Amino acid sequence: MDMLEIRNLHASVEGKEILRGVNLTVPAGEVHALMGPNGAGKSTLGAVLTGRPGYTVTEGSVLFKGQDLLSLKPEERSWAGLFMSFQYPVEIPGVSYSAFMKAALDARRRASGKDPLSASEFLKLLSDRMAFVQMKPEFAKREVNVGFSGGEKKRAEVFQMAMLNPDFSILDETDSGLDVDALKIVADGVNALRSPGKSALVITHYKRLLEMVRPDRVHVLKAGQVVAEGGFELVEQIENEGYDSIR
Amino acid sequence: MNRIYIAGIDEIPQHSTLEDNDELKVTIICPPGYNGVVNFGIDILRPGVSLDLAGLYICTRGERQRFNIAVRHLCPGASSRQLFKGVLDRGGNAVFDGLIHVAHGAGQTKAFQENHSLLLDETSSSETHPQLEIYADDVECSHGATIGSLSEEERFYMCSRGIPSEEARHMQILSFLSPVLSRIPEDERLSLMRRFRIL
Repeated sequence: MDMLEIRNLHASVEGKEILRGVNLTVPAGEVHALMGPNGAGKSTLGAVLTGRPGYTVTEGSVLFKGQDLLSLKPEERSWAGLFMSFQYPVEIPGVSYSAFMKAALDARRRASGKDPLSASEFLKLLSDRMAFVQMKPEFAKREVNVGFSGGEKKRAEVFQMAMLNPDFSILDETDSGLDVDALKIVADGVNALRSPGKSALVITHYKRLLEMVRPDRVHVLKAGQVVAEGGFELVEQIENEGYDSIR
Repeated sequence: MNRIYIAGIDEIPQHSTLEDNDELKVTIICPPGYNGVVNFGIDILRPGVSLDLAGLYICTRGERQRFNIAVRHLCPGASSRQLFKGVLDRGGNAVFDGLIHVAHGAGQTKAFQENHSLLLDETSSSETHPQLEIYADDVECSHGATIGSLSEEERFYMCSRGIPSEEARHMQILSFLSPVLSRIPEDERLSLMRRFRIL
């Protein structure tokens, strides 16, 4: 079954069309990469898939596990198993990471008819996932992303992904600005989620992350359309010859 | 010394002095349902002391809340800080009048005032009138005010993690009020929030 099936997707921001007929399919169990020059519409695609306000879909459809994704509210998309690691994670003063994650997990469990985790189950999961991304335990008490360095914010996004255990993860340039150690944590996060029922779309400019996660397929977005699809050789071609070499 | 006053329940001192304590912390809570005026005034009389004054107000359903806050520095070398945060909803209207008075001879005073309002809808309104009366040289005084609404970006971030929109909105309001709420001991805070249905 296909996890995500995007058909002829057109979307605009403030009346300007950014996505101009995107076709892209990610089967269950696969990790795909989405590359493309600045302004191609990569982040817009992530925004439209997660339901960010301000983006208008003018044409096309998106099926997520066979369900019409675009008719769902952002939180319903999350409950359905969608997650996006933000390029610019938001700071929420006065809300601790643990309270934030508890609210998110409880809501997701409620939506699927499950009881919330007990305090001890939650804390165990929290400390386990924090250890996985090598976040210090005191981060659980810190306000969400407040005063985090760029690298810490990205790591915290991977932590959230590991906590929520989504079926489909979009990583929007999660590797930008990371050192090699932090990059490995991101890659480990993606690789840990690899299983027959899970998929990911890794949006990136760089080969380094893709060398670590080895995507099953690579899509290249230019001017709001997927202009090329292939294997890892596309990554090599972009690295060596640039996006101009892809028509 | 940490004093907490709840408008409509506690008597809030209109004329008080700060002299005996090195540090005085005052927190004024104006819960929803309070429709009236809060007068708080304090004279700072001894060099070296500091006043940490904060307040929060929740003004909803057409309520009108007025704040007349006066901090008077009558001696040199003392400091004061004011932080007032208000949430306005469903036709609530708040007016904040905050005076910082620095008397002749009260040099080396440090006095700061901040007032931030969060408007939850278009029928609510908020006004801030800061007043600085400074009659001494060599002082450090400032005031700042903002009126804003909930960040859509912040809400979207929470919702994208599965937090329902309404719950995310509550968390945002608590987040806004947290610098003042966090001054109240936890058990007291929780019972206050339940009692006044502050979310």
